[in-house]
Amino acid sequence: MLIALAGNPNTGKSSLFNAITGAHQHIGNWPGVTVEKKEGFAIFEGEKIKVVDLPGTYSLTAYSLEEIIARDFILKEEPDVVVDVIDATNLERNLYLLTELMELTDRIVVALNMFDEAKKKYKIDVEKMRKLLGLPVVPTVAIKGVGVDDLLREAVRGTFHPKKIDYPEDVEKRIEALENLLKNLNIKNPRWHAIKLIENDGEVRRKIASLGSKNILHMAEHMRHEIEDIYGDDIETLMASFRYSFAHGLFHEVAVPLNVGGVTITDMIDHVIAHKIFGLPIFLVVMYLSFQFVFTVAAPFQDAIDLIFNGKDLASGGHINGLIDLSYNWMASFLPAWASSFINYGMFRGLAAVLTFTPIIMLLFFILSLLEDSGYLARVAFLMDRLMRKIGMEGRGVISLMLGFGCNVPAIMSTRALKNERERKLSIALNPIIPCGARIQVFAFLTSIFFKENQALVLWSLLLLSMAVVAILGYIYSKTIFKGEGEPFVMELPPYRVPSLKGITIHMWEKSEGFLKKAGTIIILAAGIVWLAAALPWGVEFGGKESLIGQFAKFMAPIGAPFGITPEAIIALFFGFFAKEVVIDVFSVLYGSKDVLLAAMSPIQAYSLLLFILFYTPCVATLGAIYEETRSLRFVLFVILEGFTLALFFSFLVYNIGSLLGVGV
Amino acid sequence: MKLSELKPGETGVITGVSGSGSIHRRLLSMGILPGTIIKVARYSPFGDPIEYEIRGVFLSLRRSEANYVEVEKIVPLYLIPPGEKVKIVVLDGGVGFVRNMSRMGIIPGREVEVIRPCCPMVVRTNLGEFYIGRGEAYRIYVR
Repeated sequence: MLIALAGNPNTGKSSLFNAITGAHQHIGNWPGVTVEKKEGFAIFEGEKIKVVDLPGTYSLTAYSLEEIIARDFILKEEPDVVVDVIDATNLERNLYLLTELMELTDRIVVALNMFDEAKKKYKIDVEKMRKLLGLPVVPTVAIKGVGVDDLLREAVRGTFHPKKIDYPEDVEKRIEALENLLKNLNIKNPRWHAIKLIENDGEVRRKIASLGSKNILHMAEHMRHEIEDIYGDDIETLMASFRYSFAHGLFHEVAVPLNVGGVTITDMIDHVIAHKIFGLPIFLVVMYLSFQFVFTVAAPFQDAIDLIFNGKDLASGGHINGLIDLSYNWMASFLPAWASSFINYGMFRGLAAVLTFTPIIMLLFFILSLLEDSGYLARVAFLMDRLMRKIGMEGRGVISLMLGFGCNVPAIMSTRALKNERERKLSIALNPIIPCGARIQVFAFLTSIFFKENQALVLWSLLLLSMAVVAILGYIYSKTIFKGEGEPFVMELPPYRVPSLKGITIHMWEKSEGFLKKAGTIIILAAGIVWLAAALPWGVEFGGKESLIGQFAKFMAPIGAPFGITPEAIIALFFGFFAKEVVIDVFSVLYGSKDVLLAAMSPIQAYSLLLFILFYTPCVATLGAIYEETRSLRFVLFVILEGFTLALFFSFLVYNIGSLLGVGV
Repeated sequence: MKLSELKPGETGVITGVSGSGSIHRRLLSMGILPGTIIKVARYSPFGDPIEYEIRGVFLSLRRSEANYVEVEKIVPLYLIPPGEKVKIVVLDGGVGFVRNMSRMGIIPGREVEVIRPCCPMVVRTNLGEFYIGRGEAYRIYVR
């Protein structure tokens, strides 16, 4: 048996999906598009039920990808039952989609979700609703798992005698006439096709035209003009009005509001949170606290993972072996040293690096889900839309950019929230410019050595520069290579809700797991390559002057010179490609002590290097995420090129102007 | 007037929705339809987008999108001071509410005069003088 879940966004559809399928789910994409597809299984009374979560939509027109996916699935896959998940606290608007679904299929079970909250707002007569719709109606509270069994029972055994959505006589008789003609064409669901033809739905018109019935199209067009003349408005407005008046009527029949004219809690909260003046500072504070939370909680986990895998150098000069060292020793007993070294100090260490920044990624996803499920994200989009539009994105784009300060990987994955493909790509192209937590660590390390007195100032200059570059590039990109129309921004500001920990945890796992599986492989492979570059030809000092990378650095030295970048720094940058924080380790190894490092570079050279680190290619993990999200190698190359261009430009500029003026030489 | 011209706290009734393609459909599917009551909840920091309340839902619309929506400004009867004569524009409620109101002569298009402020309010219609409760006075919109 196949069940499809349909419904508006923000109705708790995902929670219901989780409640029905539990852990038995699979996340992928709908064929050919980046819209997420979730499938899962449930066993109910011995029957195996496949559940597909359709994209959340407000209607079923042919104007958006999500809507086309949802309606095509119902038309072509013919699920045994469609569950319409309705936010019972917001009945009227949610019933509109039901009217469209009822034209598409007879077998619908209505889930009145968030019923507990709705009861505080209205008195809802579920029995009456059943009778008026002729469909099973089941109250549910998905986040608590209430009503799920009833829902499945109705899906398996329910009876469906749906009422027709009634249109005015003048319209109804035309729909019926067209319906009869379509019946002759042997089309399934002729009524729906008739209605869509009258509505002038592009997809359906093409479909009927391909069947060679120009006649029907002409007739539908004629009818459309007649209806528009009778009612004096355009067909889309009219049809939507007819459906909404059904929804409106039904709503007032089954729900009695408990308090009229009162101010809702959401409105009270928004009075402060979405305030014209306080809104933005509050947003900045929320982001600051979120990052504090992420880094504070992640730090001990990261240290522990690092200790377990990499062991620890003792102050006395000794070394406590980590898992990697132990594994190396063990493998070296039956493998040649180079093979054991490659497997352990190359690939295994790559895996360890992935695991080390997993806590950050998981926590960032945790925060993202928390902001989203509570309803705050929609407010951020509302507050920031005007500013973000200047750099070619809608308000939600700011979240991806902010997440970038934590880690570019979840940041790039979060661009999925942007509905428009162009805005998404623009957002992905800009994201690597935002310095992630790892780069900020490197900055902190280098500035603590070279700019002891002005450390904060230098750090701030880097952060501000990155933001300025994002703004300028965003502006330029949105006027040139990522030019185009934006999506309609008509966006719901859902009521604030206390998110369910379970829902957030599931979300966090899904995302992090997806990243670890996909990007993890790429990172481990890249780690192997980096090891080869540092270890070959076999026998040289690891990463030393004779190694491939050492020779490369020597070869590159004349090119680095105009930027003030030393051969040692080139080696560090090379390793930084694998994970940015590694730059610190490489400097420590190559220079031995901080004093040597301080003597090796002038302040202007150091600053030039900081700029280079800020911009040059994103790390392997980020590139992996970019590839996953765009499925385009060209795009990945573009981002690398963008990074190097910016890095070379700013380093060259600063180093040479600085040297000319004699600043910090 | 255009929806974008309403100020925070003001209410309007929609008289027309223009625009084309996806934006038109999107507005309609969110229930932005002729005859519907819409209220300005608040402006964002830059005065754009604007938050509206419609059918019990809060929506954010950009100014450019709100420009496609024509409205007529209305006020709830609740706010009308005694002695003033106003015209009923729209009743915000179901069939039952509309029926109850019409029994008192409170019908869209008719004129009523406020005799006493809330609560309860007293209004004079062509059928006589009637008491109106607070809940009702909030749902009767006049011009």
